Amino acid sequence: MDFPQNMSMEEAFALAEAEAKLNQALSESKDRFENAVLPNRLNEDWRFGRPHKYATALAELLQSGIPSQGEAMVEHAGEAAVAVTTEDDDLRQTEMLMPTIGSDALLGMHLERFGSGYALYIEEDTKEPIRIEYTTTGFYTPSTFIMVAPGVRAEVVEIHHGIGEAASMFATRNIQVAEGAKLKLLHHSSNMERYMCITNIQNMGGQVVQLTRHDTHDWAREETVAEIYTPGSDTQLYSSNLPRNGVLDLHTKQIHHAGGATSNLLYKNVVYEGGTAIFAGNIFVAPGAHNTDAYQSNRNLLLSEKATVHSLPGLEILADKVRCSHGSASSGVDEQQLFYLLSRGIPREEAIDLLAYGFERDVIEKYERA
Amino acid sequence: MDETPFQIDTRGEFSFPENHKFDAGFGLTEATIDYICDAKGEPDWVREFRKAALRKFNEMPMPTHWAPEGINNLDFDKIRYYLSHGTMPYKDWDEVPDDVKRTFERLGVPEQERAFLAGVDAQYDSETAYNNMREELSKQGVIFVNSTEGLREYEHIFRPWFGKVIPVSDNKFSALNHAAFSGGSFIYVPKGVKVAQPLQAYFRINSESMGQFERTLIIADEGAELMYMEGCTAPKYDSATLHSGVVELVALKGAKIQYVTVQNWATNVYNLVIQRGLAMEDAEIRWIDCNIGSGLTMKYPAVVLQGRRARGEVVSISLAHSGQLQDTGARMIHAAPETTSNIVAKSISIGEGRASYRGEVNVLKGMKGCKNNTECDALLINPASRTDTYPAITVNGNACAVQHEASVSQVDEEMLFYMQQRGLTRAQAMSLAVNGFINDLVKEFPMEYSVELRRLIDLEMEDSIG
Repeated sequence: MDFPQNMSMEEAFALAEAEAKLNQALSESKDRFENAVLPNRLNEDWRFGRPHKYATALAELLQSGIPSQGEAMVEHAGEAAVAVTTEDDDLRQTEMLMPTIGSDALLGMHLERFGSGYALYIEEDTKEPIRIEYTTTGFYTPSTFIMVAPGVRAEVVEIHHGIGEAASMFATRNIQVAEGAKLKLLHHSSNMERYMCITNIQNMGGQVVQLTRHDTHDWAREETVAEIYTPGSDTQLYSSNLPRNGVLDLHTKQIHHAGGATSNLLYKNVVYEGGTAIFAGNIFVAPGAHNTDAYQSNRNLLLSEKATVHSLPGLEILADKVRCSHGSASSGVDEQQLFYLLSRGIPREEAIDLLAYGFERDVIEKYERA
Repeated sequence: MDETPFQIDTRGEFSFPENHKFDAGFGLTEATIDYICDAKGEPDWVREFRKAALRKFNEMPMPTHWAPEGINNLDFDKIRYYLSHGTMPYKDWDEVPDDVKRTFERLGVPEQERAFLAGVDAQYDSETAYNNMREELSKQGVIFVNSTEGLREYEHIFRPWFGKVIPVSDNKFSALNHAAFSGGSFIYVPKGVKVAQPLQAYFRINSESMGQFERTLIIADEGAELMYMEGCTAPKYDSATLHSGVVELVALKGAKIQYVTVQNWATNVYNLVIQRGLAMEDAEIRWIDCNIGSGLTMKYPAVVLQGRRARGEVVSISLAHSGQLQDTGARMIHAAPETTSNIVAKSISIGEGRASYRGEVNVLKGMKGCKNNTECDALLINPASRTDTYPAITVNGNACAVQHEASVSQVDEEMLFYMQQRGLTRAQAMSLAVNGFINDLVKEFPMEYSVELRRLIDLEMEDSIG
């Protein structure tokens, strides 16, 4: 390999070592994709998610030979944004190392054909939120890469939107936040027949606040893995959804590799009509990651007799001196609250909408205030 | 027999020389089943039933995709499936052989105290060695016998419920138990009878590589009430021992059953027990469960809430030392409207021990007014200790309320410092803190168990704190 001219011996060794590590990881990653099997009933990460139906359907789309069709645009990015394509080696490598929650086989297929997307190298505070928008009428497989430099405060809005009746999308997103940096990310997806998004957050001592919202999909799956590498990191994951019909499948992992960091998660769903909401979260505290503070909470409001909720909050703690908790609560509308509104002359439907609005409002406020 | 066949110890790590009248040898085949049936003199339908279950057992896969990895170390061919002194349970205390008596002596239950207890069903190896019932109970019509006798004498009550709560094909270990069961209790409490004193069974494994496949069926008829207690200690062995019991409870309309278990097997025992109760209208089932021993425990007491306003509760304490995995939890199936359930689980991980909570709460479609509350708390003692929580909650419809909460913490340094400053050693302080952590659950156990529990925790803590 070529070293820059003015490099010291130590730096050259460190660089060579890093390169060797990366190659090692990449070759292991190749094995990972080669050995991966499509999610099936025995895949615990797809529990309640009907993999035989949805994962299979997505895999068929990915292998059908339908070209990636979609439009990518970015606004208010200044010089930060770089349009990327399949040819981009850095992005490929980053995606190869991405952890998934039970979907390695699908990620492998995404890699084969990921199409286009944007990489954001944010080195200055953003004045207006950077807006990335991916739209499609067919099947689109975009990728986003966001890197925030030390001490920089950034805000990004990412929109995934389907046009027409039969739009589908399978997106990936990599986020790296350096020490002292702050990233606020609002992710909104809507109107897709099949929708899946895998997010990987690598927090090296900064603050990451993510809010996701998935609207009017027939089937949507979110996999968010937050990896915390440095003490002092703060990671906040929020989600607020109103599934009406169809299946919403939310999976999260908060992995604390290093101690002395905090993470907080709050996912809320208001389930209407025949909708199904699945939440499966996990907090993993690695051995030695002491003084970790990690919280996880899932709240569901069911508004119909036909609505279904599956909630699987999880903890895996391999260190002591930690403070970890998780909670999950699911119920219908509180009759007393409803009675109060009805007694003020508010019609039933409006009253329920008002309660649903109040229920999910605090998630959005948490994001706005962060 | 020679005197002093065991060494003095503090944690039940002793054993007696083996002397068995019946021994079915290693491995489980149709021949083994024939041997068991012949030895026990069982009717043909039981023989056929066992053989059908064996075929199911051979067909079914291990639960590998979610179960703890340790389960793969289990070798079904290296286990003895039936050992016994004989088929008839001892009716009188005097008839109980001396070595068995001595074992109970070491368990810390004096003869007088046991005579006071309502009925002691003391299982020694696979067969009940001591089975004594107070006359009052029989006058009330309460049946308390071992499962072999239950099948023989009370087939008309036993058979309709046999394998109904936990079917043969429920899982691999259920099939295994249906094929090889021996020992365990059969209890029937007639309508409206409230058993004042707890019924109790002490049992233990005392032969190397011997599986204990006890089968317990408790039926509480309409309006009946009872409490059943089982506690076990086992000596240490070199090779793995399998304990795979099946416990079925049936609480008919308005009945109440409380089932208390204190488990302290040696760490080479696989403790894979299936416990499930069926609660009919207005009935209540409570599982009070304490797991201290065994190398790998997989135990998820369940209540199927089958009738309106039925109530289920699981209170669980588990303690995982180095080399132990306590994979415990609870299941609540709300299959009727207005049913309520409550789960409180506390675990303590010491050294490199691992304690997991695995639970399921399922509110089926169309069930209105169901409520569940689940609380799991974990305490970590050492830096290498591990704890996990894997609940699964399913709610159908908008007329139910289900909540789950779990927290993980460690013993507060300031608390320890305060106690040490008052003159307690670090181990004493730690023991006090741990006892405080589980105090509200220990209170749920009957008196003698809670005393024993505290003593066991003290002993465990002494080892863990240098």
